[in-house]
Amino acid sequence: MSKQQENNQFNFRQYAWSQFKKNKPAYVSLWILGTLALIALMAPIIANDQPLYTKYHGQTLFPAFSTQNTYEIKSEDGSVETIQLDIAKWKQMDLEAVIWAPVAYAPNKSDFLNSDYKAPSGEQFFKNQSGELVEMPARFRHLLGTNKKGEDVLAGLIHATRISLTIGILSMGIATLIGLIMGSLAGYFGDSKLYTTRGQFWIFMLGLILAFYYAFLIRADELADAIGTSGMAILLQLLLSLAIFIAIAVAFRYIGMLAGKLPLLNSKTNIPVDSLISRAIEILISIPHLILIISIAAVAKPSLVNLMLIIGLTSWTGIARITRAEFLKIRNLEYIAAGQSLGFSEARIIFRHALPNGVAPAFIAVAFGIASAILIESGLSFLGIGVPADVVTWGSLLSSGREAFQAWWLVIFPGSAIFLTVTVYNLLGEGVRDALDPRLKS
Amino acid sequence: MLKYVLRRVLVFIPTLIAITLLGFVIMVSAPGDPVERMVVAAQAGGEIGSQTANQLEQKKFWNRKLGLDLPIFYVSLNSMSQSDTLYRIYDKNEQESLSRLSSQYGNWPAISDYFASVSALHQAHSSLKIDSSTAFGHDLNEFKEDVNTSFFESSSLKASYSLVVIESKFNKLQKLYSKPYMAPLKDELDIVIDKYKTVQETATPWKKYVPVLNFYSNNQYHRWIFGDGNWLTGAGSEFSRGIVRGDFGTSYTTKMPIQEVIGIKIFWSFFFSMVSVFLAYLISIPLGIQAAVHKDSLFDRVTTVMLFILYSLPSFFAATVMLMWFANPDVFHWFPASGVEPVRGFAENAGFIEKWWNRLPFLALPIISYTYGSFAFLSRIMRVSMLEIVNQDYIRTARAKGLTERVVIYKHALRNGLLPIITVFANIFPVAIGGSVILEVIFTIPGMGGESYNAIVNQNYPMLIAIFTITGVLTLVGYLVADVLYAVADPRISFSK
Repeated sequence: MSKQQENNQFNFRQYAWSQFKKNKPAYVSLWILGTLALIALMAPIIANDQPLYTKYHGQTLFPAFSTQNTYEIKSEDGSVETIQLDIAKWKQMDLEAVIWAPVAYAPNKSDFLNSDYKAPSGEQFFKNQSGELVEMPARFRHLLGTNKKGEDVLAGLIHATRISLTIGILSMGIATLIGLIMGSLAGYFGDSKLYTTRGQFWIFMLGLILAFYYAFLIRADELADAIGTSGMAILLQLLLSLAIFIAIAVAFRYIGMLAGKLPLLNSKTNIPVDSLISRAIEILISIPHLILIISIAAVAKPSLVNLMLIIGLTSWTGIARITRAEFLKIRNLEYIAAGQSLGFSEARIIFRHALPNGVAPAFIAVAFGIASAILIESGLSFLGIGVPADVVTWGSLLSSGREAFQAWWLVIFPGSAIFLTVTVYNLLGEGVRDALDPRLKS
Repeated sequence: MLKYVLRRVLVFIPTLIAITLLGFVIMVSAPGDPVERMVVAAQAGGEIGSQTANQLEQKKFWNRKLGLDLPIFYVSLNSMSQSDTLYRIYDKNEQESLSRLSSQYGNWPAISDYFASVSALHQAHSSLKIDSSTAFGHDLNEFKEDVNTSFFESSSLKASYSLVVIESKFNKLQKLYSKPYMAPLKDELDIVIDKYKTVQETATPWKKYVPVLNFYSNNQYHRWIFGDGNWLTGAGSEFSRGIVRGDFGTSYTTKMPIQEVIGIKIFWSFFFSMVSVFLAYLISIPLGIQAAVHKDSLFDRVTTVMLFILYSLPSFFAATVMLMWFANPDVFHWFPASGVEPVRGFAENAGFIEKWWNRLPFLALPIISYTYGSFAFLSRIMRVSMLEIVNQDYIRTARAKGLTERVVIYKHALRNGLLPIITVFANIFPVAIGGSVILEVIFTIPGMGGESYNAIVNQNYPMLIAIFTITGVLTLVGYLVADVLYAVADPRISFSK
C-alpha cells in the first residue's frame, strides 16, 4: 500500500487509538482500570466469608451464590439442621470438602477473635473445628489486618472498589449526558438561531408549569409515601409522575403549534439558548464545588444513589463548556449546511451528525471528571457526610484509621487505593488528550 | 476599564440572586423542625423563662423570631383545595396533616372547623381536676393514666390524616370517655366526630386538580434577604436585618449571631489559604520555568512525574499519613496533632513574634497539606504555558537579537507565561474563604471549613447556608478580580466589548 493510499484511508479513530497506545503510562492505566473493574464486578466471589463450594453432611452446597438465606441439612440420623448462611460460622464447621473465596471474609462482618486492630504481620487468632484457640492458619490470615471491630480490611477494600468505581462512572455518566446536551444546544443554536412563535413559546411555558403541577405538586403526598416504603414503589411513582409530565408537556407543545398560527401570537421570538445555558453554568461554577455538594448532601438522605445524583447534577459544567466550544466550530462546517439543506430536523443534525464529531474533547473532561468524582466520594465518606454509616468505602476505612494511628494499615491501604484509582484516571485523561489533540502533545 | 468592571458587576446581580435562591432552597428543604429544636435547646439552656413557661408561647415566639410564620416565597403554586394560610400553623406535623386532609377532602372551612374542635378537645384536659370527688371509687393512678392517654391521643389526632387512623382514635377515645370521671370530655369528642362527618359529607375533592397562584409580598425569602423591617433602609426590624445588611440569623447551637461566628472563624481559613497560595506561587513559578526551558531533560522528566504524583495524591490521605508519622508519639512526635496554638495559651507578656513562633509547629503540617496540591497544579500549568511561549516567533527574535537567555526567559517569555496563572487565582480564592473542609477537620483548625462540618453534624443549617452564600458571593468577587487582573496584565484584551 502506497503512502498516498494510506492517507486516503485515514481513520481518525484508528489514529487516535494508535497514538493512545504509544502513551505507555496511559495504556498501562487502562489495564489497571480493567483489573479494578474486574475486581469490582467479582467482589462477592473474591471476598466472601461463605464458601464458594462446600460439601456438608453429604450435600453439595454453593453458599456464596445462593439466593436463599437458609439451608436445611438432613443428617443420616434423620435430624434436620438449619443453617443461616450469613451468620453461620463456616470456618468452624465440619465441612467434608470446601473451596473458599480467595479472601475468606466479607466486609461489615466482625471476626471477634481478631478485633482491636490486628496488624497484617502480627499475631492473629483462629478458632478451629474443635473450638480451640490457635494461631491463625496462613489460608485465613487477615492479609491487610483488621479494624477495631475485627472486620477484614482487604475484604472491605475489595467491596469498596465497587462503590467508588460505580459512583465515579455513573455520576459522570449523568454529568456527561447533561453536559453534552446543554453544550451542544448552546453551541449549535447560539443566541440567535432558535426561533419560535410567541404563542408557542408562552403556551409551552404554561404547559411546563401545569405539567409540573399535575405530575409532582399534587402527587407530592403519594411520592412522599413511596419514599417511606420501598425502592420499587419510589421508581413506580416517579415513572408515573414522569409520564404525566411528558404527556402534558407534549400536549401543550402541539397546542402551542396551533396557537402560533393565530394573529398576534404568530410573531417570531428568538430564544437566547446560549445565554441561558452559559448563565446557568456561571451560577454553578461560582459556588465552590465541594461546598455545594456538601451542603446538598447534608440535607438529603444519606444514600449512595443520592450521592451519585448530587455529584452528577453538579459536575456537568466542564463537559458542557468544552462541547459548546466544539459546537461553535462545527455549526459552520459544510456537512451541517448539507444536512440543513436536505431538510433534516435540528435534533437529527445535532445528535446524529454533529455530536459524534464533537464528542471527542468531552472524553478528556470525563476521564478527569471521574477522578474528581471518586475523590469527592471518598472525601465525603471520609467526613461521614452523605454516605450511610454502615457502608464500607475507601474513605470510611481511611477515616477509621484516624482514630488509632498504630493501625497504619487502615490508613495506608485505603489511601493507596484512592490514590491509585485517581492517578489511573488522571493518566487516562492525559493519554486521551494527547491522542486526540496532537498539538498539545509535548 | 471602569465601564467594563461596572458591566461585570451588573451581570453579577442575577447570578447573586440565583445563589441566594439555591441556598434558600437547600435551607427550607432541610429535615427537622427548627422551632422544636430551638424550644428544646432554650429549655435546656434556660434562656427563655423557666420550665413552667408555656411551651406553646415559646413555639410561637421562635416561629416569629425565625420567620417561619410567613409563606415561603413570593409566589406559590398550589391546589385550590389547600388553604393559603396553612403556613401560620407552627407545628410541622399538624401542618402536614392539615395539608393532607385538604387534598383528600378539598373543603378547607370544614377541615379548619374540625381542627379547631380537636384543639378544643385537647385544651379541655386542663378542666379535668384530679380530686377525690371525681375519682371517688376509682384508683387515682388509673385516673391519671387515663387522662394521660386521652391527652396524648387527642394531641396525636391533630397530626393524623388517614381515615383508618382517625377512626381508630375516635373509637379508643369513645371507649375511654365512657368512664364517669372522663365524662366532661365526652361532649367535646362528640363535636369532633360530628365535625369530621361534616368534612366527609361536604367533601369537594375536585378542587385538588385546580391550580391556584398566590402572591405574597412578605415571605421567608424576602425576610431572609431584607430582614423584617423596611426592605430598603432596614428601619423597624425586630428580629432580622436581612443578609443584605450582614445579618445571617442565629446559630442553632450557640445562639450567637452567625455573622459574629463567621467573623471569628474566617481568619484561620484565610490565613492558611493565603500562606499556601503564596508558597505555591513562590515554588511553582521557577519550577515550571526551569522544567519548560530544559524540556525533556532529566530535571524536567523527574519533576513532571513528581508533580503528577503530588497532583493525584488526595490531600486527606497525605494529611492523615503526615499526622500518623510526624505527630504520633510512637513514631516521630515532632508536631502537635491538632489545633493552631498551644492549649494552655500563651504567656501573658508574650509578644506578637513570640506568639507566632510558638504557633509555628502547629501550622507546619497544615501548611504543607494545603500547599502541595495547589503547587503541583500551578507548576503543571506554568510549565505548559511556558512551553507554548518559548516556541513563539518573538522569543526567537529576542534570541536572534543576541539577548542573553536570562533576559529572553525572564523578561520576554515570563510576562506572557504568567497570564494563565492569574486566572487560576480565581479558582484558589474561594477555597481561601470557604476553607478546606476536610483539612480543617483533620487538623482541627477553627476555620470556616471546620465550622461547616460542625454545622452539618449539628444540623445547624442557617450556619451552613450562610457559609454557602458567603463563599458563593466571594467567589464571584474572585472571578471579577481575576478578570480585571488579567485585563491589566494582558494589553491584548480590550474592554470595548
